[in-house]
Parts: sequence; structure tokens; C-alpha cells
Amino acid sequence: MSAAIALLLKLLKKGAEADIYLTMWGNRRSVLKIRKKKEYRNEVLDARIRSTRTVREARMMSEVKSFGTSTPIVYFVDPKKFEIYMQFVKGPVVRDLPDRKIITLCEKIGAVVGTLHKNGVMHGDLTTSNFILAGKKLVILDFGLSQRTERTEDQAIDLRLFKEVLNSAHVGIVEKAWASFLKGYGRAAGTAARERVISQVRVIEGRGRYANVV
Amino acid sequence: MMDLLCLGIESTAHTFSCAVIEKKGRGGRILSDVRKIYRPPDGEGIHPREASRHHAEHSPQVLSECLAKAGLGIGDLDMVSYAAGPGLGPCLRIGAVVARSLASYYGLPIYPVNHALGHIELGKMLTGARDPLVLLVSGGHTMILAFLGKKWRVFGETLDITLGQLLDQIGRHAGFASPCGPKIEELASRSTKYEPLPYVVKGNDVSFSGLFSATKRIMPRGLEDACFSLQETAFSMVGEAVERALSFTGKKEFMVVGGVAANRRLSEILRSICRRHGCRFYASPREYAGDCGSQISWVGLLEAKRGSGARLEDTFVRQSWRIDSVEVHY
Repeated sequence: MSAAIALLLKLLKKGAEADIYLTMWGNRRSVLKIRKKKEYRNEVLDARIRSTRTVREARMMSEVKSFGTSTPIVYFVDPKKFEIYMQFVKGPVVRDLPDRKIITLCEKIGAVVGTLHKNGVMHGDLTTSNFILAGKKLVILDFGLSQRTERTEDQAIDLRLFKEVLNSAHVGIVEKAWASFLKGYGRAAGTAARERVISQVRVIEGRGRYANVV
Repeated sequence: MMDLLCLGIESTAHTFSCAVIEKKGRGGRILSDVRKIYRPPDGEGIHPREASRHHAEHSPQVLSECLAKAGLGIGDLDMVSYAAGPGLGPCLRIGAVVARSLASYYGLPIYPVNHALGHIELGKMLTGARDPLVLLVSGGHTMILAFLGKKWRVFGETLDITLGQLLDQIGRHAGFASPCGPKIEELASRSTKYEPLPYVVKGNDVSFSGLFSATKRIMPRGLEDACFSLQETAFSMVGEAVERALSFTGKKEFMVVGGVAANRRLSEILRSICRRHGCRFYASPREYAGDCGSQISWVGLLEAKRGSGARLEDTFVRQSWRIDSVEVHY
């Protein structure tokens, strides 16, 4: 990275997995996502995790566009430095919006997820922070944990995680938001697929430690 | 507020323990905490029936030793609490029977307490943490929790076995006596050779079953390397889940509790994560990290602030009592 670019770097977010900077790519405003070395992690393991996730994320962000899913445009990937330069998308993340708005948007989120699943992609990290509302469009981020898979089990893991996020971070609106999500999901993936995945979610929940099984 | 003395009884798994805590205002002082731990034969796990037999046999001795150390008679106590779950049914019932007998014979108020809540609340009392993100790692739990709207909410957990089980089962496979954590830690410290093992983080959750099978496979090639690689992989997974929860919740305090909290490598990893996130690190003191009566006694005392205990006919045990179903009123 040249000194001129480095000067323009502004830390936007120190995430769990990567740091997000605001910078320029050519003359475009761009987001730089760097998966930094984790001091606490064994070096071999650390390099393996960072490189797989960087490559996977960049690839998947471009690939899902072909099913009509909005993701930031990837400008440049440096797998050796674990860096991705991507389009800067302006707008609030769904998590920070008012409750009523979140409930309506959950239907759209459901539709996005349903489309991914129908096309054989699981996201792996579905949270309300990973969706940006850009004008009227919903843009989905963070494909580092995504996978190509057609398995109902994997799709159910996606749904369960989203439900868990609603349960912990949006306690007041869980029921409504979840119902809205499922409506959108069913529309995109089909009701038969939805019922199959929901029943698998129940199976996974039942497997949990001390789930209400006794 | 009046001073209160509570006898807490813990018997969820391998430990039978009685403790007395004195509560003055908001502070607590542990007057005594006596434990007797059931040890299965080398290479074997905890057998619920054998463990409960152990607890039944040792309960009178532990109880009288606990009172003697505190310099008290049963008549001095204000209340009794017991761990009602989650845990092994036969073991839980021993603690509950002891508590019920004392309550009915001496007319003491009785409080059924959630064991996981005990780990967290005693940890907070001893460390002074106020509003931490909590990692509970033991034989029975691997959970990341934060307090929100009257309940401890789960922000991440294991999808299959717990971290404690993972270490124990690998240790037992090598023929060690459980709990095997310390032995694995010692072996791991003698190696720096990392063998690739499956690393599975799904959102905020972790899954250890694949790691368990893969570790068993590499054990014949060198036990020390296997233990080292196991610890590095499993602890990094937990570390990443913690980091995700920290950045999602924005908590400025972090506390680790439970038996596995005693592992030095794990706490080194967690400390490093806290430094990166500008977050204060707390760990329950080694002596009180594992299961003990103090945890149960302290939650009983906290609950006594509201309500006057349970009716005797409601003092059941609940093997699968999830912490996120408990409403907290203190």
C-alpha cells in the first residue's frame, strides 16, 4: 500500500474477524477489509483461517450477484496480505434502525437469504449488522463464513443463527421480526423448502445443551 | 438491611460441596466452602449412579465440616439454597434431599438455584465485574452470555459437546483420570508443533465434535503435539466466538468462569482479546472456578432480596434447566 493511500485510511470498524477501513480505490470511495494477524492464534492456524476466508469471501460476493443478490462490488483482492478492496455502500445497518423498520426489513432479509439458499449458498454469519439499507436496496455483507451447500442442515444453521440474534439483540420484537423473516424466506425459497428448513431448526435447537427436552 | 447467613449445597456433577456465605448489604463473605469430589477410575467418565452414591455417603461429613469451619450451628443459619439444575439427575437429587431435610426440620426458607447462574454471580461478587460479557466454560457448559432485560441471554454456545467434555474425552481416550484438563494442559505445554485440525465456528456458535474425532486420529502420532494442537484450535474457536460477541454487544467488561477457566493458555488468549477490544478482563479466582457451594449460597442470598423462597412441594430438581429461562429480579 502506497503512502498516499495509507494517509486516506480511516478506521471504520474494528470487527471480530477483520478491521474495516474507509479508503480510495483509484478515484472511488472504497472499503478495505483486512483480516489482521491475531496475536493469540497459532501462526499456522491463523494464516490458514485468514487466507481461506479472504478468498472465499471475495469469490462469493461476486458469485451471488448472478442470483440477483446485492453485495458490494469487489475491486481488488490480495490473498497474501489478506485484504479485500470493495465498494463503499452508504447507509445504516439494519441493526441500528428503529424496531418497526427492522420488522418490515426482516421480510426482505428473509427473501435475500431464501434466494441464497435456493441457489446453494449458506451465508454462515447472518446478523442484523450484516445488512445495509442503501436507499431502498438491501445490501448483504460478510461472506467470510459462507459455504456452497445444498444441505437442509446448513440452511437451518443459518436460520437458527438469525433467530438467536433476534433473541439476544432485538428481544422486544422477536416474534414479529421472525414471522416477517419467514414470510420473505418462503416467498424466495418456496413454502415446501421453508417448512423443511424450519423443522430442521427445531431439530438443531433440540440438540442444544439443556434444551427443553426432558 | 439485615445480615444474612445462607448454606449453599452443590451436587450437580462430580462435586458435593457445602458453603456458608454471610451477606452484609451488597457484599458477601465466604465463611467456609468444603468440597468432596467423586473420582472415577482412570480412563473412565463420571457414572451418575456412582457419583450420587459418593455424594450421599459424604454429605453428612461435608455438611458438618462446613459448619464447623464457619464456626456455626445449623440454628445460626437464615436460609438454605441448593443447585436444582442443570446437572445429572441422581446427583442433583442428593443435594436437594439434604436441603429439603434441613429446611423442613429446622424451618429454614429454601431456594432452588440455577447452577450456571451460580458460576456467574459468584464470579461477579469475587471479581467486582459489573456488567460483563460472560464466558462460561465447564464440563456442562460452553456459553457466551450477557445480561439484558431481566435475563442472561445466550450470544453463542456449543452446538454439540462442551469444551470441558472435549478435553475430558480426549484425556480419557489417552487413559487419564478425569477431569483431564490439567493433564492435557501440561502435555500441550511441551509442544509447539501445530497439526492441522478442523476449526468450526458457525456465526457465534462453535462445534467441537469434528475436532474431537480428528484429534483422536492424530493422537497415535504424538500425544504432546495432539494436545497442543487440540488446545490451540479449540481455544481459538472459543476466542473468536467471544470476539464476535464483544464486538456485537459492545460490552466493556469480560469475565470467564467455570472449571476450564483455570487453563492458563485459554486465559492468555482471552486476555489478548480483551486488550484488542479495550475491555477489562476478569476471571473467577482458580479456587472458585470449579463447582462449589459458594456459588449456590450466593445466588440464594441474592434471591432472598425478593421473595421468601420456594414452597417445599416445589423444590424439584431440573436436569435441563437452561439459564436463559431464569428471570432475575435482584
